[in-house]
Amino acid sequence: MALTMSGEVQINASRETVYQALNDTEILKACVPGCEMLEKISDTEFQAISVMKIGPVKARWKGKVTLSDFDPPNGYKISGEGEGGVAGFAKGGASVNLSDKDGGTLLKYDVEAQIGGKLAQLGQRLIAGAAKKMADDFFVKFAAAVNKPA
Amino acid sequence: MYAFTYNRASGLRQATNLLGSLDDPKLLAGGQTLLPTMKQRLASPANIVDLNMIEGIADIELKGRSVVIGAMARHAEVANSPIVQQNIPALAYLAGLIGDPAVRHRGTIGGSVANNDPNADYPAACLGLGATIITTKRKIAADEFFKGLFETALEGDEIITKISFPVAKKAGYYKFRNQASRFALVGVFVAKRPSEIRVAVTGAGGSGVFRVTSFEEALKKRFSPKSLDGLTVPANGLAGDIHGSAEYRAHLIGVCAKRALEAADK
Repeated sequence: MALTMSGEVQINASRETVYQALNDTEILKACVPGCEMLEKISDTEFQAISVMKIGPVKARWKGKVTLSDFDPPNGYKISGEGEGGVAGFAKGGASVNLSDKDGGTLLKYDVEAQIGGKLAQLGQRLIAGAAKKMADDFFVKFAAAVNKPA
Repeated sequence: MYAFTYNRASGLRQATNLLGSLDDPKLLAGGQTLLPTMKQRLASPANIVDLNMIEGIADIELKGRSVVIGAMARHAEVANSPIVQQNIPALAYLAGLIGDPAVRHRGTIGGSVANNDPNADYPAACLGLGATIITTKRKIAADEFFKGLFETALEGDEIITKISFPVAKKAGYYKFRNQASRFALVGVFVAKRPSEIRVAVTGAGGSGVFRVTSFEEALKKRFSPKSLDGLTVPANGLAGDIHGSAEYRAHLIGVCAKRALEAADK
C-alpha cells in the first residue's frame, strides 16, 4: 500500500547549519526512530538497521538509505528501502525543503512510501498513523538536535 | 516455530522483578492482541511473563462512589457484573460490545488499557469517566495516562493492577463499529459528573483517544443531544484509512455523541 504525508517543523538555526545537520551521520542516527546502526558505505549511501515498535508489533528492518537531489542549502531527498523479515518490506523517500522563516529555518517534508507484505495486510488500520508518527518523531528529534547549542 | 521462554508469575512483585531482569520481556494478560501478533511473527519477544496465575487482581468491587475493577477482569466479567451494571451501566454495555465472545472471555481490561489501541473501547470509558489507573507504582489519572498511538505513561517495569471508575450521574456509550474487526470505527463515551462533563472519542484520533472540549462546553448548559446541534469536529488530525476518511470520522463523532447522549438518558 502507498502512503503520502507531509509536515513542517521550525528550527532556530540558519539554513546552512540545518543543511549540514541533514548530512551528519551521527545526527541522522540519533533521529531515526529505533535506529541501531547507520553506517556510511559511500558519500551518499548508508546501511541501516532499525527496530520499529508500534504497540504489539516489533520488527527489525535492515536496509539502505540514500541521499540524492542535493541542492545546498535548500534541501535534498532522503530515501530508503528495507526488509523487515517476515513483516514485509518498505521503501520510500522524503523530499526535504528548507526556507528562511522568523530568523530561523522552516523545514518542510513530503514523504512517499510503499509498504508490502504481512505488515501491510494485517496492520492496515494502523500503518498510516504509525508512519505519520515516525516521520513526525524523526523531524521533531532532528529539530531538537539542531536547536541544541553545539 | 520460534523459541521464547514462558515465565509464570505467581505474584505482582515477582512479575515486576521478571520484567526488570529478563531480556526483551512482554506481559501476557488475555493475549488477544499479543498472541495473534506473535502467531503472525510480527512480534517475537524473548520472554513472556504470564499474569494469569496471580490471585486477587481480577475483582470487581464498589468502593465509596467508585467502581474498582481488577486489571485481569475479563470483558465478559465486566459486562455481566451486577456491580457494574447497577452503578455504571454504560461501562457494562461497552464491555459487552468488545470483539466477539471468545475475545470477551479472554481479553482483560488491564491488557486493553495498557495496549492503548487507537480503536479500542476501554480507553474511551477511562477518559470519558475520568478514571484512575492504579499500577504497581502509582495512581495515574486517565487524562495523563494515554499518550498517543499505543503509547501510555506506563514505565517498563510497571504493571496495571486496578482501574477505578467514579460513578457518574449519567453516562452513555455509542460505537459505530467496523463490521469485520468489531473495533470502533468511531466510539464516543459521554458522562455527566457532579463536577464536569466529559466527551471522549476512540477510533477517530490520529494519535488515539481524545476529549472534545467544544462538545463538553455545549453540554454544560444542557446534557442533551439538542445541545450539539450545529456543532462539528474538524477533520484535521483525525485518522483516515480505507474504512473511512477523516471527514467521515469527523461526521461520525457528532452522530455517535448524540446517540451516546440518548443512551445516557435512558
